[in-house]
Parts: sequence; structure tokens; C-alpha cells
Amino acid sequence: MDTIAFQGLIGLSLAMYLWLISAGLTIIFGVLRIVNFAHGSLFMMGAYLAFTFYGQLGLPFWLAILLSLLGVGLLGLVMERFFLRRIYSIDEAYQLLLTFGFILILDDAVKIIWGGVFKIPPIPAFLDGAWRAFGRPFPVYNAFVIAVGLLVAVLLWALFEKSWWGRIVRATASDREMANAIGVNVPRVFSGVFMFGSMLAALGGAMGTPVRVASPGIGAAMIIQAFIITVIGGLGNLKGAFVSSLMVGILSAYGTLFFPVFELFFIFVIMVVVLLVRPQGLFAR
Amino acid sequence: MVLILVVLPSLAGRYSLYLVIQILILSVFSLGFNLLFGYTGLLSFGQAGFFAVGAYACAKILLAVPNLFLGLLGGVVIAAAAALLLGFLSVRHTRIYFSMLTLAFGMMIYSIAWKWRDFTGGDDGLVGIPRAPLAIPGLPALSVASMERYYYVVLVVSLLAIWLMYRLVNSPLGLALQAIRDSESRAEFAGIAVRTYRLVAFTIAGLYAGLAGALLPPLENTVTPPIAHWSTSAEPVLATLLGGIHVFGGPIVGAFLFFMIKDVIVRFTEYWLIWLGVIVVALVMGFRGGVVSMFARRAARAEAASDR
Amino acid sequence: MKRSLGIASVLFVVSLLLVVAAAVPAGAQCQLGVPAIKIGVQGAASGPHADYGRQIEMGATMAIEEINTAGGILGCRLEMKFMDDENKAATGVKNARYLVTEWGAHFMVGTDSSGVAMALGPVLAELRRIHFFTHAATHRLTEELVAGKGIQEIVRVSVPVYQDAIVAALIFKDRPEIKRWATIGADYEYGYASWSLFKDTLKKYRPDVEFVAAAWAPFLTLDFSPHVSAVMAQKPDAIFSTPWAGEAVMLLRQALIQGVFDQIQAWWQAMGGSVDVLEGIAAEVQRDRFKGKLWATARYIHNWPDTPENKAFIERFRKRWARFPNYSAETTYSALFIMKAAVEKSRSVETPKVIEALKGMQIRNPGGLRVFRAEDHQFVYNVPAGRVMVDPNFPIPVLGDLKVFAAKDYYRYPPFTPVAVTK
Repeated sequence: MDTIAFQGLIGLSLAMYLWLISAGLTIIFGVLRIVNFAHGSLFMMGAYLAFTFYGQLGLPFWLAILLSLLGVGLLGLVMERFFLRRIYSIDEAYQLLLTFGFILILDDAVKIIWGGVFKIPPIPAFLDGAWRAFGRPFPVYNAFVIAVGLLVAVLLWALFEKSWWGRIVRATASDREMANAIGVNVPRVFSGVFMFGSMLAALGGAMGTPVRVASPGIGAAMIIQAFIITVIGGLGNLKGAFVSSLMVGILSAYGTLFFPVFELFFIFVIMVVVLLVRPQGLFAR
Repeated sequence: MVLILVVLPSLAGRYSLYLVIQILILSVFSLGFNLLFGYTGLLSFGQAGFFAVGAYACAKILLAVPNLFLGLLGGVVIAAAAALLLGFLSVRHTRIYFSMLTLAFGMMIYSIAWKWRDFTGGDDGLVGIPRAPLAIPGLPALSVASMERYYYVVLVVSLLAIWLMYRLVNSPLGLALQAIRDSESRAEFAGIAVRTYRLVAFTIAGLYAGLAGALLPPLENTVTPPIAHWSTSAEPVLATLLGGIHVFGGPIVGAFLFFMIKDVIVRFTEYWLIWLGVIVVALVMGFRGGVVSMFARRAARAEAASDR
Repeated sequence: MKRSLGIASVLFVVSLLLVVAAAVPAGAQCQLGVPAIKIGVQGAASGPHADYGRQIEMGATMAIEEINTAGGILGCRLEMKFMDDENKAATGVKNARYLVTEWGAHFMVGTDSSGVAMALGPVLAELRRIHFFTHAATHRLTEELVAGKGIQEIVRVSVPVYQDAIVAALIFKDRPEIKRWATIGADYEYGYASWSLFKDTLKKYRPDVEFVAAAWAPFLTLDFSPHVSAVMAQKPDAIFSTPWAGEAVMLLRQALIQGVFDQIQAWWQAMGGSVDVLEGIAAEVQRDRFKGKLWATARYIHNWPDTPENKAFIERFRKRWARFPNYSAETTYSALFIMKAAVEKSRSVETPKVIEALKGMQIRNPGGLRVFRAEDHQFVYNVPAGRVMVDPNFPIPVLGDLKVFAAKDYYRYPPFTPVAVTK
């Protein structure tokens, strides 16, 4: 019993990385109606920047994360302002292709800047060690990841449901023209949302650098997982993304424990079934 | 052009020949993809799945029965069957949902190729696939073991496939597909069974992917799981985009350009992906018609000028 | 007197220079009738394992610079071309075809992935070129393709999975307190074959051991926490681990913070002696976080053998690249000197003659004495295993407390029986 509970707790920490990357993807899709193929690459950039600020320049961990969020946010702004904005009006297939082009560029760019060897900074002292949970040592780091993920969930809820900014964004998401008519600066909202979503991806990447590694190719691995989650939760549905992150994270932790053979296959089966039976997502109202 | 291709073996080196085979294979693959994308308006990110089904099926057949004809035929038939089955499910959606669904199907096939070790050889794949003789029933068996001979097999098969596709897109079926792409509701109103036509397009696209895949194992003597990965699905997408989606020959020109870019850039720098990325971004931003349309437009303008 | 001595010495130097100047063109006259000996080099230079391909490139570049500076091979200069195989079989095959038929490579060297190696094997027979494999570890390359199918063009300079698995069994058979083993394995053939060989060998000596848990991680696993917690639930005494490169570093970090090293007696990290892994865990080793329980090997380690040749090699390598050589650098460097010896012996660059010249070859490389085995074209040499520890003479951790086994005690021998590669 303790084994099962402990594995679930580990799965919860896995789920938080998935949540952060799919939250950004979901928000961007929800408002801009764009599937950002390069979202995983932004996650990767977050990891590399955190390595540079924290591991190389020796800034405090918190500050390093903050700076990498800003850096990736800026990158997202450039992507939106100078590229995506110019092709909103045409077939969405091209938006997918454009962001695919960004994957190719960013993957090679990190190799040119940081080299081919993976990067991993030391674990900050205050996050090292373990607490006991269900009779076994549970890493403080995993607890930290869970805390950050939950905090982001609460903040996003407050932001979208309670704040003025959230209301503007929701209005823009549900009807661009109406929003425009009542005086919302739609292009500015788009830029802001894209930047914000990029920063969420960067947070997922940056948060993990001391225990995961920054290496070329992690973006491509993450984006497929993020697609799976956003599809299961319903494209553009933030609550759905949260619940399905939990589901996939915890299930894959149990998969490792109980039936490790076809786990990848089954996750895609779930994705297909959801798309066929409930394309609006499992958790749509 | 065709004449050059026919006499190529006596002009070019072995590597050029090998490269042209690769280009022909990607052309067939991309033409099928573009029937779905350019003509029907559906962006599939899972074509590598059918490519892999064709390749693995052909490889398994060649390992059991050394006859290239059976291998190619089997690869095509099995891939088309898989496309029919998965297409039946996929064409229930369009736009991004269709792209996601095909991505998921492709990755399912990828994970099967990776995990079903007894059948697919897992990560090591199937090795030692023979370039078996071509034995069409009723005709004497023909050895194709040399690269030159195999080149002619690929050339004949792909020219045939290109010609059939050309006939197809200019047939009533092709016109119906374009009508669906331009306006689904209008097509429906005109009495076109939209979903059935989409399924037909999907199956043919899968068949072409399977044919392209089946041509690969006799060339490489090996099949491994990465050919089913979504990054392989991106190759016909890029080739088609490079060449142009609204012109019949676009994917063929694009396949040629794709290999030229890759092969040329890679000789100067190992960072060839970044350049490919830059080209993709530039194409999407500025030249969505692809290279062929660019020239076609210029030619049309010149023609218009001379008419005046 | 003094003055005349000065003039004499000047004259001496001038005449010496003249002799050297005369000798150089004569020496540069290639005796093999080719403009240059061309070496095609391949490795993974993109993706998460990119450093291994880079190390192959560094090793090859340095060997070729040294050989050329010393006058080449029989007066022939060496040229190399490195290509990224992206760890994909199709790209590796395409590169090989390009290198041989277009660029004109006489020999090829490198290749990281077993999948790429297995795909290349049959193509080499068609291309009629020797490929010196310097990293790919699957036993099937030499056991099935060379000994079984007779593909003569395959030559392996690096040690296969025997090192990863059988050495571990030989070490831990003498630890009676370790009875329960679990694996965190690479979820592809390398991981399965290593675990299988390890279990089979250990069982022979120790019928009392149990294999209690297995968790498998595919390529591009970013989080090993669930794998660690899944096997730790079975309370193993020791863990046999095969993920490599960055994945090994992540796995060890995540195991550390789950307190694994307080609960087990030993952890075997198969390719943990690799330079990139040692660099990645240097801080933890410094603080003795692994409590001396972390064991590893590699296909060459920088602190063994303790010979002047090896020390000089490392010094030159560090001067040239500002890094320590990884095993794929040493094996590639050595492969080129093996090629040199074979070409000099056969006085030819023709494949069959060079293969003939390899037979019976014994050669001293930085990594020690390598002996060519004609049945499967495997170069047999020793690599010890040991505990990961700090050594004041090295800025990165080393393997210490070394266990050296004679290669004959742990290499598999023909006729080969197939290894079970199921989980």
C-alpha cells in the first residue's frame, strides 16, 4: 500500500513538469488558436538559460529561474511579433509549419551556443536531501516541483477568473472581433499571451535543470507529451490540461511499476480514443 | 528530363545514383502526401506510419520469399489497408484535430516498430534484407542486385506512380477533392460525399507512402524504427512546402531541393538543420507557393506581358 | 677557434636543413599510388548523445594530425571527413555510401549506436570497405555479422557489452552480502542484452542471488524518479544500471536525492567511467555522496593503464582539446594507428589485403595491448572496472580500487550461443 502511495507521489511530481509545459501550450491555443510546435523548444531554452544564469554565472537559483523566464518570454515575443502575427490570416497549417521551422533553428542554436554535451548544474543546497513519506525518503526537490506546479495552477486560476487582465484575455479568446469593438488592443493581448505561455514553458524547463539535464533534443521529446496532454484535456482547456497532466504523470509512474512494456503505445491509444470519442477533451463541461 | 534520368547511370557516379533513388522515393512519398494536403486540405503528421508499414512489410516478405515484385506489392497492399482502416477513423476530423489524430496514429506505429521485437527486431530493426530478383508472374525473373538495375526499377515504378497521380488529380475525383478543400459546405451541397472522398484521398496517400517505404529496404538492406517517427513524417511536409503545394510537380521539385539542401549544406557545416529551419521560416513567411509557383507566376507574368 | 666553431655549427645546421629539405619531398612521395589516404569518420553529433560523436571526431583529428606530422603512412598523407549520423541507421548508411562512392574514402571509422552499426554491416560488404567500429557495443555486430555471416569488412576496436555485463558479474560474485539485484535498464537491446549476460554469468557463480525488480527507460527519458522508486520498492541490495551519457547523470542525481545510496550496498553504472558522466557527477563524488558504492567501467578509462604512452596521450589530448579523452576518442585514435600498422604491413589500401594484414596483429595503444581475433574481427583488450572516486592527480573523478580481469576471462568466445534479449 505504501509502495503504491509513494509511487503516486512520484507520479505527481512528474505531472507538474507536464502541467507547466501544457499550460502554456493550452493558453496560447485557447487565445491565439495556434498550435505552437516549438513550445517544447521554449522549454529547452528555459533549461539552458537557467543553467547559464545559475550554473555558470552563479546567480541565486530563484533569480536564475526568473531571468530565464524573462529571456524566453522575450524570445516568445519576437516569435509572435515578427513572425506569427504576419500569418494569422492564412491556413493554420502554415502556423504549424512555421513553428516547426523554429524547432529546427532552436535545436541547432543550442548546440552552437552551449555545445553538444548535456548541461547540469548542482542541486541548490536548500533543495537537497529528503523527507520521509510513506516510510521512504521522498526528495525535497520533487516536493518543490509539486509546490511550484500547484502554485502556478492557483495563480492561473486567480488570474483568469478573478483579474481584469484575465477577463480581457477571456473576452479576446471567445470573440476577437467583439473584443476589438469594445476597445481591446487585440494584437497586444496576443503578444502578451504568447509571451506568458512561453514563460510557463520556460519555468518547466528551468525548474528541472539541477535534476534533469539540458540537452539538445529534450524539446522534441517534451512537445509530443504536451500534445498528448492538451488533446486529452481538450485543446484550449486549462482545467482539462491540469487534470490530464495529473492523469498521465501518475499513470506513467504506475506504468513503470506494474506494466512497463507497452506504455508509450497505450498513451497514444488514449490520445486517439479521446480524439475520436470526445474531441473537445475528457474534461470539457 | 525523363531522358536524362534514363541515361543517368552511364553519366553519374554511384553516389549520385543513390541520391536520385532517394529523391524519387521522397517524390512518391510527397506526391501522396500532397494529394491529402494540397488537393484535399488535410495536413497529416503521421504519413511516416504508412511509409514504415510499407517498408517493414516489404522487408518481411523479402526475408521470407526473395522476390522484389511480391515485396513491393505486399508493401503497397498492406500499407493501403492500414491507411484505409486508420483513415476511416481519421477523416472524421479536419484541421488541427486531423493533424493530431494522424500524429498519434503514426506514433502508435512507431511504438509498435520499437517494441514488437519478435516481429520488427526492435531498435536494431530488420537487417540483411536482400535486393531480391524481380519476378513478375508470367515473365522471366530479373536480377536487380546491382545499383544500376535497382535504379531502373525505382525509376520505372516512380514514373508510373507519378503518371497515375497526374491522371488522378485531373480526373473527376481530383476535382471533387479540390472542391472539398475550397469549401466543404459547397461541395456537400453539390452532392459530393465529403467523408468518402476524403477517405479515398487518405487511402491513396497511404498507398503512395507505402510504395515509397517498400522501395527503401532493398536499397538500404535494413529497416529501423526511426523511419516511423514523426520527424520522418515531416520530410514530405517540408519537401512539398519547398516545391509548392498547389502545383502538381511541386512535391517532386521539393524532394529534389530537400536532398540538395541537406546534401550540400551538410558538406560545409554539421549545423544543417538550422539552415533548413531558416529556409522553412522564409518560405512560410514569403513564398508560400513554393519554388515551382514562384517560377510559374513569373512565367505567367512574362506570358501576359508578351500577349499585350 | 671559437669563431670557426661558430661557422662550423652554422654550416652543420644549414647542411642538416638541406638534408631535411631534400628528404621531405622524397618522403612525401606516396608509395601507395594514391593522392592521399582518405578516412571517412562518423558519429552522433546531434541529439542527447552528441558528445560521443564529437569525441570520435576529436580522436580521429588528433591521430591524423600526428600521423601526418610524422610523415604520413608510407609517405602518403591522410585526409579525413567527419559526418553526423544523427544516431539514425538510414543517415549512417547514406553517409557511408557518400563517403565511399563519392568522396572516395579508403577506410571508415566511428559509429556510436548499435542500431546504426547493425545497418551498416551488410552495406560495408557491398561497398568493400573496412569500417573500424569504435563505440557501438552490441555483441551481435561481431558475433552474428562477422562470425556468423562472414562480413569481413567489420572490425571492432572497442569492447562490446561483455564489458558492461560480465565484468560486473565477476566483481560482485565475491560480495556474498549482495543477494538481491535489480536493474534500471536502457529500454532497447543494449539494456536487455547487458542484463541478460549479467544474470547468466552471476547465476553460474552464485545460485543464491535473486533478481528482484526491473524498470526500463527508453531513449530520451527525462525523469528517472519513477524508475528509481519502482525498483527500490523491492528493497534490492544492489542496482545494475545501463542508461548512459546525460541519462546516466540524471539517473544518478535522482537516485541520490531519493536516498538510494543509504539503502543499497552497490550500484553498477555500466558506462559510468565515461568522461561526460564523470564530469556531470564530479561535485557529488567530491562530497562522497555515493559513499564509495558507485561502481563503473567504460571502454577505456583515462587513469588506466598507468603507462607513459597513456599519460602522454592524455597530455596531448588535453592540450589539443582542453578536455579529457572519452573512450570513443581513445578507441578512434587507436583505430587509426591500427589502420596505419595494417597498411604498412600490407603496403596497400586494398580491403582484402588490409584485412589479411590485421590477422595476428598485436598493437600497443594508449588503452593498452590490443590483440586481433580473426574469428569475429574483435580487438581483445583489457579495461578494468572500479569505484568512482576522487584522485588528486586528476581534475575529474577517476575509477579507483581497480579490478583488472584478463580479457580471456570475460570475453565470449566462438562458437557463439545467442544471448536472450528479452526483458
